[in-house]
Amino acid sequence: MKNYILKKRSMSKLLFLFLLTNLFALASMAQVKISGKVTDAKGNGINGVSVTIKGSAIGTATNANGNYELLTVLKPGTKTIVFSAIGSKTVEQVVTINSATSYDVNAQLSSDPLGLDEIVVTGTTSGTTKKQLGSYVSTLKADQLTKGASANALMALQGKTLGAQITQNNGDPAGSISVRLRGISSLSSSEPLYVIDGVVVNNSTTRVTNTQNNYDGQNFIGSVGQNRLVDINPNDIERIEVLNGAAAAAIYGSRANAGVVQIFTKRGKSGAPVVSFSSSVMFSSLRKKLDVNQSPTKFGGPVEGPTAQTQDVLTPTLTTTTPVTRYDYQDYIFRKAMGTDNSVNVVGGTDKTKYFMSGSYYYNQGIIKNTDFQRFSFRTNVDQVLNKYLSASIGLNYINSSANEKPDGNTFYSPMNSVTILGNFHNIQQRDAFGNIQAVGERGRVNPVSVIEDLKQKNTTNRLIASVGLKLKPIAHLSIDYTMGIDNYAQKGTTFMPPFAYNVTTGSFGGGAALTPSLNGYVSSANTNFFGINHDVNATYNINITKDLNSVTQVGFSQQYENQTYLMAQGQGILVGSTQTVSSAATPLPSAEGRGEVSISGTFIQQNFKYKNFAFLTGAIRRDGSSLFSGTQRNQTYAKVSGSFVLSSMNFWKNSKISKWADLVKIRAAYGESGNLTALGATDRFNLYTSSSFVGSTSYSSSSQAANPNVGPERQKEFEFGTDLGFLNNRVTLTLNVYNKKVSQLNIARSVAPTTGFSTLLDNVGNLENKGYEIMLTGMPVVTKDLSWTITGLYNHNENKVTNLPQPIILYGTNSGAPVALIEGQPVGVFWGTFFQTANGGSFSKQSNGLPNHSGLILSPAGIPRTAYGTQTTSNLNSVLYPTVVDFVSGGADGIPATGTALVRKIIGNPNPKYTTSLINEFNYKKFALRIQLDATKGNSVFNADFRTRQGVGNGKLAELVQTGQLPRGYISAYSPTATVPTGIYAIEQWRVDDGSNVRLRELSFSYKFGKIGNLISDLSLNVTGRNLIVWTKYIGYDPEVNAAGQSTLLRGIDFGSVPIPKTFSIGVQAKF
Amino acid sequence: MKNINKITFLLGVATLGLLSSCKKDFPIITGATTDQTFSNPRAVTAVVTGLQRTYSRSVLLSMCDANSLVTNETFLVNVGNLSEAQLTAGGASVDNSNGLLGNFWATANKVIYDANNAINAASGNKFAAPPALGGNGYASGVLAYATVYKALALGTLSQFWEKVPDTVGVGIGTATGATFSARNIGFTKAIAAIDNALAAIAANPISSVFDDDLPVGLKRTVTTETPGVNLVNILYALKARYSLFIGDYNGALAAMGNVNLAKALAFNYEAANPNPVFQSFTSTNNVIQPLDSTLGLPPSIAPSLIDARVGQYTTISASPRFRFNGFWNGSTKTIPIYTPDEMRLIRAECLLRQAVPDPVTAQSILDGILKQAPAADVFGIAANIPAGYVGLSDVNSLLTEVYRNRCIELYFSGLKLEDMRRFNRPVAEMKRKFFPYPLAERNNNTNTPPDPAF
Repeated sequence: MKNYILKKRSMSKLLFLFLLTNLFALASMAQVKISGKVTDAKGNGINGVSVTIKGSAIGTATNANGNYELLTVLKPGTKTIVFSAIGSKTVEQVVTINSATSYDVNAQLSSDPLGLDEIVVTGTTSGTTKKQLGSYVSTLKADQLTKGASANALMALQGKTLGAQITQNNGDPAGSISVRLRGISSLSSSEPLYVIDGVVVNNSTTRVTNTQNNYDGQNFIGSVGQNRLVDINPNDIERIEVLNGAAAAAIYGSRANAGVVQIFTKRGKSGAPVVSFSSSVMFSSLRKKLDVNQSPTKFGGPVEGPTAQTQDVLTPTLTTTTPVTRYDYQDYIFRKAMGTDNSVNVVGGTDKTKYFMSGSYYYNQGIIKNTDFQRFSFRTNVDQVLNKYLSASIGLNYINSSANEKPDGNTFYSPMNSVTILGNFHNIQQRDAFGNIQAVGERGRVNPVSVIEDLKQKNTTNRLIASVGLKLKPIAHLSIDYTMGIDNYAQKGTTFMPPFAYNVTTGSFGGGAALTPSLNGYVSSANTNFFGINHDVNATYNINITKDLNSVTQVGFSQQYENQTYLMAQGQGILVGSTQTVSSAATPLPSAEGRGEVSISGTFIQQNFKYKNFAFLTGAIRRDGSSLFSGTQRNQTYAKVSGSFVLSSMNFWKNSKISKWADLVKIRAAYGESGNLTALGATDRFNLYTSSSFVGSTSYSSSSQAANPNVGPERQKEFEFGTDLGFLNNRVTLTLNVYNKKVSQLNIARSVAPTTGFSTLLDNVGNLENKGYEIMLTGMPVVTKDLSWTITGLYNHNENKVTNLPQPIILYGTNSGAPVALIEGQPVGVFWGTFFQTANGGSFSKQSNGLPNHSGLILSPAGIPRTAYGTQTTSNLNSVLYPTVVDFVSGGADGIPATGTALVRKIIGNPNPKYTTSLINEFNYKKFALRIQLDATKGNSVFNADFRTRQGVGNGKLAELVQTGQLPRGYISAYSPTATVPTGIYAIEQWRVDDGSNVRLRELSFSYKFGKIGNLISDLSLNVTGRNLIVWTKYIGYDPEVNAAGQSTLLRGIDFGSVPIPKTFSIGVQAKF
Repeated sequence: MKNINKITFLLGVATLGLLSSCKKDFPIITGATTDQTFSNPRAVTAVVTGLQRTYSRSVLLSMCDANSLVTNETFLVNVGNLSEAQLTAGGASVDNSNGLLGNFWATANKVIYDANNAINAASGNKFAAPPALGGNGYASGVLAYATVYKALALGTLSQFWEKVPDTVGVGIGTATGATFSARNIGFTKAIAAIDNALAAIAANPISSVFDDDLPVGLKRTVTTETPGVNLVNILYALKARYSLFIGDYNGALAAMGNVNLAKALAFNYEAANPNPVFQSFTSTNNVIQPLDSTLGLPPSIAPSLIDARVGQYTTISASPRFRFNGFWNGSTKTIPIYTPDEMRLIRAECLLRQAVPDPVTAQSILDGILKQAPAADVFGIAANIPAGYVGLSDVNSLLTEVYRNRCIELYFSGLKLEDMRRFNRPVAEMKRKFFPYPLAERNNNTNTPPDPAF
């Protein structure tokens, strides 16, 4: 403590010197002290209320007791002190500065549950209040973000943001998270624009691990791996503003076509330094274990060793049985994981210089053995008032994050898939006399023990995010602000597969049966470097035209430049496990390099009128250009108009009887246009031949995708209508938004006839729309001095539809086997596949164990459900949706498809939920607080690829029914070398589609505030939190909140080798000194 | 106020600096444009090498995979492989959305598309090979090299689809695309392209610089050979093959007579671009494997128990019992483009089918093939049956023996479905006669012909 005090003294000295110099510079002014207390309606002091002198950059914030103190130099005269805090109505107090040196100004803030008087920063220097906005903006405060035991800022937004569907794609400790604001806005990427303190930050996914060239074969896997917002420390965040709609884009530019997530980090406050410390420990574990096959026998021959017949159920020629011992490999690959989260920050400053400094270390283990994620983060934010006209700020954030990974689920040698594709009768942990891990069957697959023990992937990122801001008030009414942001990171990944001591197929980088040393084992090293810089200059002219009419005119310019490079070297053929560098590999494999530059710029003008305190109108025009498009398409113009009307602020209302129970009535409407300036890769519009080595010669290849060189940006138009209502002293509040977002000229790689020489053409084709509504209802049934109870309900309904395509259907082949399609008039990414033949009027349904219900189905004479045959013309939309099903001709045990019929397909599932909803209950009793958040998703389909595989290879419960004779031998699969008709349900894609509807206990948090303890700790609190503790669902896999394709827009709801989301407990303590 | 002016000035300068730095045209550094590619002779050679890569690693794999399943050469190990499962069931189970056939169709068309681009570049005035490269002798080399892949891709399509595109590279983004003609026209066009290339070589012999640019396996092994000799052999071999398929027996005999039977010309692979059959099937043991020791032939014409070729093409293991051997049992094993024994069998068949059959010579050719010892075959594939041919000597019996030997000698080379139709094998022996047109073609080209029923 001694040092601490010393520090404080020297800082006071500095402050004194600083003030002294200012005194000399501004000798005509006098130093004054303004102090006071800010309280709530109950008279309790409020912490963290922003106190500013209107029209200047001078300000501070209240301390934990609600007290504040402003030391500044002011000319005599009338000054307005503005008190504002999130969740409260802003209050202004007038003080007259005369010869006195100290003034006492107190304020009482009343709650503003809808936050209409909150300042939101939508590109203006001074911000604007939500009241003025025609479009919806949601704001989340720090304490809402950090209560849920989530180490990721995006995860923390789950269920709290109106209009957002936020999905954790898998349970890896640094797994990716998809954010969709009002549905799918583009087919390339629908992730919103992320801005931290004015810096446009990169949230991309780069595959520096999982680099194997056969990793995804010819197929489409989506976007897998970490997304870079994982680098942001949630403890640094002061608040997050989420702008759902295109109306936002007029200010943020056309990169904001999928919405904007603005993150504001904590800033300094004048006063003595306050040190905050928080520490927590986390425990994660598998939430639900699947039942595995317990059959005492399997079909066919050997059980152990390299000749063991695995995948017995899928091999119909095997009819003999062999006794086996059954294992549960889940016990091997999963573990109870632990983690810690420690952070410390210091807030302090004078009225001219304010600083925020933080340091944090986060470490969390994955529930898959030997996986973890850690992050070091340091941040400094400094705000400096230079003089009356100018203030500056600087923010620096350094992050080092690293993860020990295992291969992604999309491979056969990922932890989940290595278990899924294995009959559970192998003793995987058995070793030979030399201690070597043994082969698991005749397929040359990787033993899960090798995956857990020997496969190594390390992913490390060093990142610096820096911002510089200047605010200039050169003349009255005019303010100019400039922000420069730099996001710079280097990400490095290494992947290592050891030489296997047993037969692993060369396709999985083994040495084959001969353990060929030049092929056995794999190593790669990859780097990506990203540099992004953005400059934003805005000038705002704010003037009262008349007493009642205020005008704000804004012109702005923004420029963004991004440069990314990627370099990957790889090889195979490793002799000793300690030679893990690429140069040690016997066989070099083709390296890969990418370099891309993108430049975007835009200018806008925006005019805002405010009439009295109830009518607001804003219009804007923006012109944007992007280097990704050719000269003729480059620059596009977008318009925006919005208005709001606060009925309850009008005098007639205030005087009427209604105002006794209706406190707030606001209606608003907005229209905004936007494009998508980053839908393409840096050279996507060019038709290029790429060069690579082939058998000692140079080979050139053209892409399977042709591009229209003059492809233009997508265009989006969104109309939004909304209302905010408050009743019964604002005890009940309601927000309702209705929107219609239409996107035209989609940048789609449309399918073309291969006789053109290409398989796809990148062009402007197709339209889509998202129509929906969002409701947030908050009620406070109990508000007393000691006890308060708040209920918040969020409901989001979005209908997504492809409204126009150049062809009725575009079908995508995927790695997981999910038949993903774009079909005119249907939502994006529906599953279009083969289905069960149903009896007239019957329908397909599943039992809880995944078996089809036979009632309603037509069975083969052998009693097995079968796939529908009939006729279908895929060039006809009606036939795509409604194929003609033709009955089989009887014959044999299987029946024969009628002449002229073929397999037919229809829509068998839709990954888009009908609605998502959340219910949050918060109780505060004296020093106790309890928060319960339930999130629900309804009506979304999941393509459960893994469930089917488990039955086919023999580790699932249905395989057990076949092996124990409770199901016919050919029920799951009976393709044989001589079969002429497919039987068995294995190939029927409809069987793999499950209802992913679920309700989950997303967050459960309990906290106790000890308050001030002795002279050392000014505030201490303790909390216990649980996340994803319970999920109520009929889904037959681990967890329906999953996507093996990561952040992909097209491929969603695919369960293929993904690590399930764990349940997490956390115990933490927060202290302030 | 002085400071303010200074700062405003600086801000102004900074803004101007920003405005001028809004550069939006960046140089392309990751690939070559079409113009750059086709105006550089060596880049055109590289394009053709790219076609070899696509053909030998992708088209060939799809062809052998699909062909072997519908002709019973192989069986499917894991029915989770949906495309192969459809082909195993055959008939109506094989549909337009079959991913394997879709890939087969797309890659074969891609090869034709870029082969045409290379041929056009090498034929016209656009292509001025500098004297240092051998001038017109470089151009004729490019033409010959590209023609090999055009002929292979066009011939391959014609073997499996009833109708083939007339022109590749038209109709992008429009509803109406390429028109189609009967597959015989496809073979005829492949032959015409070969004749055109041979004429170009005759006019301007291939330069040694061009030969040096060829990948291993196609370039000369000794400099005493004529530059481009291997391409010429391949062109004649393909001409013989496709002439046989359209019933031009004289043409086939003449072409076959120009093939040097001492040559073993094959696609080469390397660890970075491994043998695709080994990589996808042999090594994984999870897709297809040889049916059994009959190699899929019915009992009446199954290989003799002492036929050494069965053991050369398959190996005995535990589960499944028969697995790929021969050209497919190693990541860098080469796969023949044609074999001398295919040429001999073409000769025997032509002699039997020509207007005046010559069964005596045909029988002696078959006898030679059956008696051949492995050491005598350039690829080491030989029956090694000392007794030679022991059956009847009539034309029909000998034709059956030709078929039987083609099925064994040319096992898993992708030619069997064509042979089954040519030799009028019972429909029960095959699972499809022709393949349906892939969805991508059907949905985007109104000229796509109707699908065959079987």
